[in-house]
Amino acid sequence: MLESFGQGGLSRLEDSISLVKEIKQQENIPSLTYRLEFPFKDSSSQFLSDSTYSWSQTDSSYISKQFSNGKEIDSLFQSLPADSIDLRFFVFDERSDVSGVASYLETLYNTGDFILSEDQQRPEKDLVLMASRNHYEPLDEYKNKLLSDKGLFSVTLINFLFIFLSICMIIFMVIFKRKRNQKEDNIKDFENEIIEPLTSILFEKSLEEIKEMTPEMISSIYPKQIFQKRLFKKVLIDKIISLNKKMKGDFKDKLKVLYKKFGLVDITKANLKHRHWDNVVSGLVQVNEMDLRDLLPLVKEHSQSSNFHVRSQAGATLLNLSEKVDLKFLRDQNYPLSDWQQMHYLRIIKFVAATKSLNIPILFSSENQSVREFGVKLVRMLGRMDLIEELHKINDQVLDEEKVELIKTYDVLGAHMEVDFINQCMSSDYPELKKEAIKCAGNLGNEESEKILLDLLEQEPDFQSRKNLLQSLFKLNQQTFDVFISNHPNQENLAIQAHLLDPVLNHV
Amino acid sequence: MYNFLFYFLIELFGVAFMILSFSVVLVYLTIMVLSALEMRDFRKKNKYADYQDIITSPIAPGVSIIAPAFNEASNIVQNAKSLLSLHYGRFEVIIVNDGSKDDTLQRLIEAFELKKTDYAFHPELESQPIRGIYKSPNKSFRRLIVVDKENGGKADALNAGINISQMEILACIDVDCILSSDSITRMVRPFMEETNRKVIAVGGAIGIANNCDVKDGTVTKYRAPETTLGRFQVIEYCRAFLMGRMAWSRINGLMLISGAFGFFKRDLVMAVGGYFPKTVGEDMELVVRMRRYMEEKKIPYKVSFIPDPLCWTEVPEDQDVLSRQRNRWMRGTIETLQLHRKIGFNPRYGILGMISYPFWALFEKFAPIIEIVGLIYTLILMVIGDFSAVYFLGLLLMVYLLSLMVSSFSLLYEQIAFNNYKDRKDLNRLIWIILLEPILIHPKVVLWGIRGHIDFIIGKGGWGKMIRTGFKTAEDRKNIETQSNSI
Repeated sequence: MLESFGQGGLSRLEDSISLVKEIKQQENIPSLTYRLEFPFKDSSSQFLSDSTYSWSQTDSSYISKQFSNGKEIDSLFQSLPADSIDLRFFVFDERSDVSGVASYLETLYNTGDFILSEDQQRPEKDLVLMASRNHYEPLDEYKNKLLSDKGLFSVTLINFLFIFLSICMIIFMVIFKRKRNQKEDNIKDFENEIIEPLTSILFEKSLEEIKEMTPEMISSIYPKQIFQKRLFKKVLIDKIISLNKKMKGDFKDKLKVLYKKFGLVDITKANLKHRHWDNVVSGLVQVNEMDLRDLLPLVKEHSQSSNFHVRSQAGATLLNLSEKVDLKFLRDQNYPLSDWQQMHYLRIIKFVAATKSLNIPILFSSENQSVREFGVKLVRMLGRMDLIEELHKINDQVLDEEKVELIKTYDVLGAHMEVDFINQCMSSDYPELKKEAIKCAGNLGNEESEKILLDLLEQEPDFQSRKNLLQSLFKLNQQTFDVFISNHPNQENLAIQAHLLDPVLNHV
Repeated sequence: MYNFLFYFLIELFGVAFMILSFSVVLVYLTIMVLSALEMRDFRKKNKYADYQDIITSPIAPGVSIIAPAFNEASNIVQNAKSLLSLHYGRFEVIIVNDGSKDDTLQRLIEAFELKKTDYAFHPELESQPIRGIYKSPNKSFRRLIVVDKENGGKADALNAGINISQMEILACIDVDCILSSDSITRMVRPFMEETNRKVIAVGGAIGIANNCDVKDGTVTKYRAPETTLGRFQVIEYCRAFLMGRMAWSRINGLMLISGAFGFFKRDLVMAVGGYFPKTVGEDMELVVRMRRYMEEKKIPYKVSFIPDPLCWTEVPEDQDVLSRQRNRWMRGTIETLQLHRKIGFNPRYGILGMISYPFWALFEKFAPIIEIVGLIYTLILMVIGDFSAVYFLGLLLMVYLLSLMVSSFSLLYEQIAFNNYKDRKDLNRLIWIILLEPILIHPKVVLWGIRGHIDFIIGKGGWGKMIRTGFKTAEDRKNIETQSNSI
């Protein structure tokens, strides 16, 4: 293997000239030394006193001390008469001839402890080229255990991933906390900055004066650098909306004018067109709170949004701000109305009912069942007795679920004229409708209702239905109730009677 | 032959453990991602929600709060008053005295001027006999109903309360829990929002009240508990509620709603036959049964989860009590999974059968067994000289880092979403527990789980005793400690 790096290995050191030439190129060869030998014939020579050589006398010659650096050979010979000096080699301090030295060098060469001067000087590029030409086989002892064991490699990889993720998470946590704290501090600072100039305008200027102010004049109440900041404007919007919720009368109008003069409407517009639904909802809330009627066409676009929160808020805004609350947008809703939406719409409708004309019957003709039900609920919750006639018209056209709402409405509004419909529903196969009709009969029923109640009681209903029936009968006609109990004194009936007569249960 | 079989098994177990380790990693990473998405959406949805309307709106559903009480005399009046003062329009509070041996009932009668009534009802759900139903003639307490019955356990008491309840939503709670005043409004919202699917149940996150300040039924100042076990449970609750349940809620795979604070549709609870009194995991069993019912009837449904801190409870800081609790939880899980084994890997049950059930079976029920088997496997490898220390340490490090990552992620959640533990010292303490938990506490939890399995096999049951120290502020606690030290 090693021989492939040399050109013919050590074969070229076989003669003494080549060998000496090679040694002269070597700085140090392990355990190989040399000495200079000088015969006695020239004992008067001056150089014998030269301390560099430390000559010592033997039987037939003078011999120098041991040298190991081959590169010094030529310089040592320079001050000596070269023709009378001999070079002697020593291997492990034992004198050796040329062949012995050559053999020793070969051994060193094979173990890698001796590199030919030519190989030492060979450029790195050549070595790489040669290596690339050579087929590489890794020795087993150098094989990477981590890479060869797939399981261990995966575990190590995952560990590094976890360490990386954990570090990222901690860094994220630290950055996030710092940023949030910074943001909270900024918001607090901005709130402090905002409140004083804003309240002074609100209290010192009349509505007309504010209206006459130019946007530049109004914006100048805050330092320009701060006013340009997005967060500042966001805090300003929140502050104005929050004040608007708390204040009344003239102040509300002032705040709305200020909102426009500050140029915050542009932010609202951008929010309404934003691709993230939560920003759209923010925009809708801003339109709603600040009465930005000019933006109602944009709001309308969201009334059929597939996002529940967007369409809910759009609906609420339309209800609140539209000049004419004809509830058309509600009638045309494609998505079912959830109870949550109904609750919010009810609040707004209750609020606007006093000032705007509501066209509730339009909802009865909606193709959306939940909207029709909501229409009936509105009649009940707004106490619109005037719409009983309208409800009467749909009594027989609607589904059982809607009839439940109709019955509840008649019950709450005391619509005695609908007793026939109530009686009819008492015999329904739809349990919820039957239950509500029985309950309603207790308040609005007539003799016919009494008969139906008694008939139903004879059919041995379950305990809860029996309780409802007896409760209604008790309310409708206590005498008939007593007669029924005395004729049917079973345990359940007596228990229900006791319940209905219990003063704590009935009066608290 | 036997030699071959032995080494074959060794290889087989090695591969199985390898697959299991990587699936644990994969599952928890998925949970982290899902919960992050759900938390983001929840926070967005909550940004503009107005909860004021719901208190007075006639459209909001009525809620029956059912709180079983057993030997709760020391706190029962205070707890009942706290429940009666919740901010909501239409609700009733049903306290079920489950055959208490102390004067729980007497204290209620005296405090609320209760009278025994002739309340007529039909026990649609089976329960132990009812001795009496009490109401107060004082209109201030008109919402309160107290049911006195023979002792039958928590599930039995809940069934008795459900029989009496009148409202469409049931809120089943532990009477000693502290409920935030707006807890009902927030928990009722999912029932009102959904239109395409029926919301059958809503679970809430439970906070840990140990060492916290409580004022007017709300935790006003959070502090990390003073004991290691207490702090460990803070981390554990963060992991369970803010991460685990949020992720399951994302894919509508929730199988457990905490028995301490869960809301259910009454009609559906009645339809499935109420709580099953013979299991100690009645909360999980009810949810699984309700889900199973909906799947079998092919009705679209959802089980929701609200991560807001609305309910707080005192957790056991005593090792014996905690071990009994964990033992009970394990038995409850085993019982529920055994009862409903039909749904496991059954595509008919959708996510419930194909994802939730297998997850619970593998990562909850069998987790302690797998860990013990893993330990034995390692010992065998050591004995036969086939043990690779590098490999073992690598796996151990992986599990440790996973635990570290999951726990720190859940704490990060808490900080991002609620930031309740504001004091840096508390945060440092919790981080310290995250580092120590896998070494100090997890082995104990595994052991308690194993005991749960053993107790289930030998048929040993029961709830064990919960020793409560009462909700004290840190200041009160300090005073108590000072007094006891001076004595």
